[in-house]
Amino acid sequence: MQRPEHTGIGLSAQDVAIAYGRNPIVSGLDLAIPTGCFTALIGPNGSGKSTILRALGGLTAPNTGTILLDGHSIARLPTKEMARRVGLLAQGPAAPEGLTVTDLVRQGRYPHRPLFGRWSEQDAAACEEALALTDMAGLRDRPLDSLSGGQRQRAWIAMTLAQQTAILLLDEPTTFLDLAHQIEVMELITQLVATRGKTIVAVLHDLNQAARHADHMVLLKAGRIEASGTSAEVMTSANIQQVFAVASTIILDPLTGTPLCLPLPRRPPQS
Amino acid sequence: MRRVILLLMVLLMALATASLSHGDYPVPWRELVDVLMGRPGASPQAQMAVLDLRLPRLLLALLVGAALATAGAIVQAVMRNPLAEPGILGINAGAGLAAMVLLVALSGLSPAWLPLAGFAGAAAMAGLIYALAWRGGTSSLRIILIGIGLGSVAGAGATLLTAFGEIRDVQRAMIWLAGSVHHADWQTVETLAVWIALPLALTLAIAGELDVIRFGDAPARSLGQRVQLARALLIVLCTLLSGAAVAVAGLIGFIGLIAPHMARRLVGPTHWRLLPVAAFTGAALLAAADLLGRTIIAPAQIPAGVVTAMIGAPFFAYLLWGRRHAAA
Repeated sequence: MQRPEHTGIGLSAQDVAIAYGRNPIVSGLDLAIPTGCFTALIGPNGSGKSTILRALGGLTAPNTGTILLDGHSIARLPTKEMARRVGLLAQGPAAPEGLTVTDLVRQGRYPHRPLFGRWSEQDAAACEEALALTDMAGLRDRPLDSLSGGQRQRAWIAMTLAQQTAILLLDEPTTFLDLAHQIEVMELITQLVATRGKTIVAVLHDLNQAARHADHMVLLKAGRIEASGTSAEVMTSANIQQVFAVASTIILDPLTGTPLCLPLPRRPPQS
Repeated sequence: MRRVILLLMVLLMALATASLSHGDYPVPWRELVDVLMGRPGASPQAQMAVLDLRLPRLLLALLVGAALATAGAIVQAVMRNPLAEPGILGINAGAGLAAMVLLVALSGLSPAWLPLAGFAGAAAMAGLIYALAWRGGTSSLRIILIGIGLGSVAGAGATLLTAFGEIRDVQRAMIWLAGSVHHADWQTVETLAVWIALPLALTLAIAGELDVIRFGDAPARSLGQRVQLARALLIVLCTLLSGAAVAVAGLIGFIGLIAPHMARRLVGPTHWRLLPVAAFTGAALLAAADLLGRTIIAPAQIPAGVVTAMIGAPFFAYLLWGRRHAAA
């Protein structure tokens, strides 16, 4: 498992500060996203996870500092060019009523098509591949509103995959999904990294889920990086105490050998 | 898709035949064919009724209906609101106020300026709403809120003028505002056709922008859309289309709201299918409304705008009722 370095390749943030009005959300952020890995952004509510993800995706411009993509600032990148290199899936996206899976996935080709451009064979092939990767080919003609939450999330991921970007940013892709659907989405992510060499960054809420699946973890508190590295390096009870103010003990997952965080009861159980 | 278009074509043909043959001077369909084919058999009365009166009126209704429906489809996607219609951009309020000012406050001027004043009012209002909603960029919500605010200001201005104006002028203005195609002539038809041809074609050519912008600003941007630019361009197209429709026909409500909804039920929400079907639907709706309005209590005529409102409101309620079991 490689450590992140400022290699100039891939996505990184240099001394980034972001504020909404007068509220500083993120400050002094230096972050390098390891290429070809699954990075999980974790931290309590309001720690700036989503803001950082949006900044990495070019949706929020930093007040100071730069986001670099392969060594060049993304601020000067045309939006379509950016969308051909970095895909971002927002949290809980909404689709118009009656939109089918195919029609949704086809939208992912937008950045590849010139104005007035016709639908090309590459477009069709990219959509087919995205549907196959997400196992949605059998549901292609179904309207999104008739699908389960997990299927719908896979359809949105398929749209982002049709963009054919090397880097994918996912904002809380498992929130609001039940356990089976969460596993479905997490396994899709690890599969995309393992077999397609994608670089994926996801904001996750579940620490244990993140530790089990992610190659690299970034733990945030109040807009700053508290710890980053492998799950074993990040998931320590000291870090958990520091960031979440929760006392915990860390054990190793008997199935995967990754750390599992067990929060301690606030009061010792009475016996 | 092809079946739906075919069905709408058949419906339009039936409507056209009915519109051209029905009226004070009924023209049987055999004679109608003679007139339209330019064969000598038809009587001069039939020729005049069909070619000079009913055909331009029918064509105007079709064009206005198509323009309003397309404008409605644009505004519903840009505002990401299924209840939006071109009126949200201040088109109706601006045109209404301009017409009132022209007919009531400046009653010396010729009513021939009416279409121009109507269009200018609509465009000025849309521009003002867009400018006021700008704060380093616009958002759909700000446009809607400012549109509602300015719309009621313009409405108050128009009401003020009616309260103090000459009663005859006010009545003329009210008749224009009611929205109708009864004064159609060939020149109006030609002007409108030329005017809306380019915006209609351009809208269809960039249907993909509508598909993307309706996801919301952030998702659209992460797909690579220059959202502010696309929104501004689409608002201009919508203003050109609905402003022109208002200028020649006055305020005709509900077509811009209902036609895109019907089209969505027929062919789904993707715009390269939705836009043409919505245009055909809007054209058929307005032609039907006009036919109904001039035959139901003939020889008196109900303005088409009144008919669309009377049919439109219950129809809209029916649409919502039909969807009450649909998944949220």
